[in-house]
Amino acid sequence: MSAAADTACPAIQAGLTAEAILALLAPLGGAKDPADRWGLTVIVPREQLRAAMQLLRDGETTRFDLCLDVAGIDYLGYPDWRGPRFAVSYPLKSTVFRHRVTIKVQVDEDDASVPSLHDVWSSCDWAERETWDQYGIVFAGHPNLKRLLNHHEFVGHPLRKDYPCQKRQKLSVNDPMVDQLQAKLRALGYEILEQPAVTPGMPLTQKEIAK
Amino acid sequence: MRVKTPQGEIVDLMTINLGPSHPATHGTLRLFAALDGETIAAAVGEMGYLHRGFEKMVEQGTYQQVLPFTDRLNYCSAMMNNIAFCKAVERMFGVELPERAVTLRVILLELSRMIDHLVCNGANLVDLGALTNFWYFFNPRERVYQIWERLCGARLTNTVTRIGGMYRDTYPGFEQDVLAVVKVIEDAVTEVLGLIERNRIFIDRTRDIGTVGAAEAISAGWTGPCLRAAGVDRDLRKDEPYYGYETYEFETVLGTTGDTFDRIMVRMYEIRESAKIVRQAVARLKPGPVNTADARLSLPSRNQVYHDMEALINSFKLIYEGVRPPAGECYDAIEAANGELGFLIVSDGGTNPYRIKVRAPCFTQWSHYPGMLTGSMVADVASSLGSINIIAGELDR
Amino acid sequence: MVYKPVPATAAAPEVNLGDAFVTTTVDAVVNWGRRNSLWPFPFGTACCAIEFMGMVSSMFDVSRFGAELVRFSPRQADLLIVAGTVTYKQAPVLRRIYDQMLEPKWVISAGACATSGGFYDCYCTVPGIDEIIPVDIYIAGCPPRPEAFLEAIVQLQKKIDRENRNERAIIGGAA
Repeated sequence: MSAAADTACPAIQAGLTAEAILALLAPLGGAKDPADRWGLTVIVPREQLRAAMQLLRDGETTRFDLCLDVAGIDYLGYPDWRGPRFAVSYPLKSTVFRHRVTIKVQVDEDDASVPSLHDVWSSCDWAERETWDQYGIVFAGHPNLKRLLNHHEFVGHPLRKDYPCQKRQKLSVNDPMVDQLQAKLRALGYEILEQPAVTPGMPLTQKEIAK
Repeated sequence: MRVKTPQGEIVDLMTINLGPSHPATHGTLRLFAALDGETIAAAVGEMGYLHRGFEKMVEQGTYQQVLPFTDRLNYCSAMMNNIAFCKAVERMFGVELPERAVTLRVILLELSRMIDHLVCNGANLVDLGALTNFWYFFNPRERVYQIWERLCGARLTNTVTRIGGMYRDTYPGFEQDVLAVVKVIEDAVTEVLGLIERNRIFIDRTRDIGTVGAAEAISAGWTGPCLRAAGVDRDLRKDEPYYGYETYEFETVLGTTGDTFDRIMVRMYEIRESAKIVRQAVARLKPGPVNTADARLSLPSRNQVYHDMEALINSFKLIYEGVRPPAGECYDAIEAANGELGFLIVSDGGTNPYRIKVRAPCFTQWSHYPGMLTGSMVADVASSLGSINIIAGELDR
Repeated sequence: MVYKPVPATAAAPEVNLGDAFVTTTVDAVVNWGRRNSLWPFPFGTACCAIEFMGMVSSMFDVSRFGAELVRFSPRQADLLIVAGTVTYKQAPVLRRIYDQMLEPKWVISAGACATSGGFYDCYCTVPGIDEIIPVDIYIAGCPPRPEAFLEAIVQLQKKIDRENRNERAIIGGAA
């Protein structure tokens, strides 16, 4: 164990100002979100999301190398709301500079799809799955867009404002997950020669589910 | 499952489920692995077995009613979640807390960090077969719970803060209790370090096991002790100080390679750094109010309520309706025991939160975990899982 | 060996044995054994599991009540302690673990969530594990204190004391 002083990791440097980040994103259609009065949120058009994110991650002056989260928001019923129904927020921060930015894309209900960023930050992989699970926003290009928090028999997306809080959905048998494991093995270069016998366990009987 | 390996061999892989009810998963995680002998060829993880709908439930109540839910996110250090949430809402209001409330919060934060690390390391060492250390760590932790009980009546789920300050001031003798317990914890850490730090078995079980280097950890979104174990000196207390952390003297603890050993040791030594902060904070504790005087947040005194019509109405509105942060979206984070604990709050100007998203530090750590197991031994699953400290309540929310 | 019947005229055998002989019922002996050697399986999911760990650790010390031998295999356990929220995703797992336990078996539902769903009245939480498995003892609290866990074990021991071996044989299939 070593104290901070005698290691190679440099101290954090002063980051860009909000104006500088906005100027950087302006050519990509980035505009300041007036709702965030405490930090900096930039709304980026969906088509420019990947370009903007790669610019923010790799830029010499930005280096936003940590994507902290992917958060869906449903504006159905928000007072005086005229924009698209959904939005996805990506709070970013840097391990080099002391600055933060939240990137936001707005998504229409009819075409609820956002380009996936799983290859930009590996942390987006599961976070996007969670947002798909909770809001039904599709992340185009995601390799394994499966439910994460809710069970695989769940219908609907619970964090949408029109999903009733107490509408329960029961599960009869757990996901065997063999398909995910095989996909992972194939990605690692294995070739599946023989399918395993899947024994997912005794399902809860219909009577028990109905109860 | 018969497969052809990338090297062209034909082998039979055994598939095995670890969890969702498994002693080493510390909660409800599921790992589904394909084993080639004792080596993990590939593993996939699943979560959501403790998905309790935090984010849906909090939309049903007021901001004050969110506090008990935050207790149950990371239940090993509930006060940290209370403070993180209150800090985010207070940022939206733009209120300054009185000095005593800030210092008290620092003491509670650091004591919570200490007991969180105690539980994490104690349980991890049990998984490695070192049961004695578990007892050494759980006794001082019980002493901290006794302080919590005297402070707010609850052991585990404290709800100790309020938006705009604290639930109430401390009891007489709080400072002495805290200083005594800090000493006990430090002794326990010294004792356990004496048992494990140069222990051949422990080092062989943890050195170069579950290694996650700096670049990999950053891409996976890791924060906190797990990132510092990889040698990245990032700590919100130093980088973006809040609650006057820049005025306390302490050091960030760094590892070198980012293996299980480093992660355990970073936590061990962070307990000592936290002890330093607690001692300094206790010395600074001056009498004073623990709640802000801002009428939007704090209840008026009983005397005012009985004699002043405005105060009566204010008290009534605060209790029956709750606080109303200004409309907008705010992300705010603290350095919790596990990493950056953030709250993204969307307010519509009303009394109920419109949307709260928790940025849980475990989430990124668990999502990277199945990938980092590829090629390791099945016996190391438990030790590397324990060292990234997954708390299911915070992970699944 | 040739069996020699006791002569009809002889006194009952216990007369000669004095104080070394106690008469009792099979139920009392069996229940005494079962009561004092409960092997718990902690189905810990959430906060209550941390307090379960507190109960096992040295300050509260559940071994005073003979239930310290925590087993993580349902086949070896006879007391299922469900500590924490059970979600619908978890429900089939809990049911399967209960089914895997051998008779005689008892269930303690620890805490508000396991008992009634607690304050998580939500799309994903089971409102009480008694929807899935039978429960012997409920513990209140969110989470219950370690003392409450101990009280539950004492209450369960009293309940076991009143059990009738034949009745359990009918319920569980074998005693």
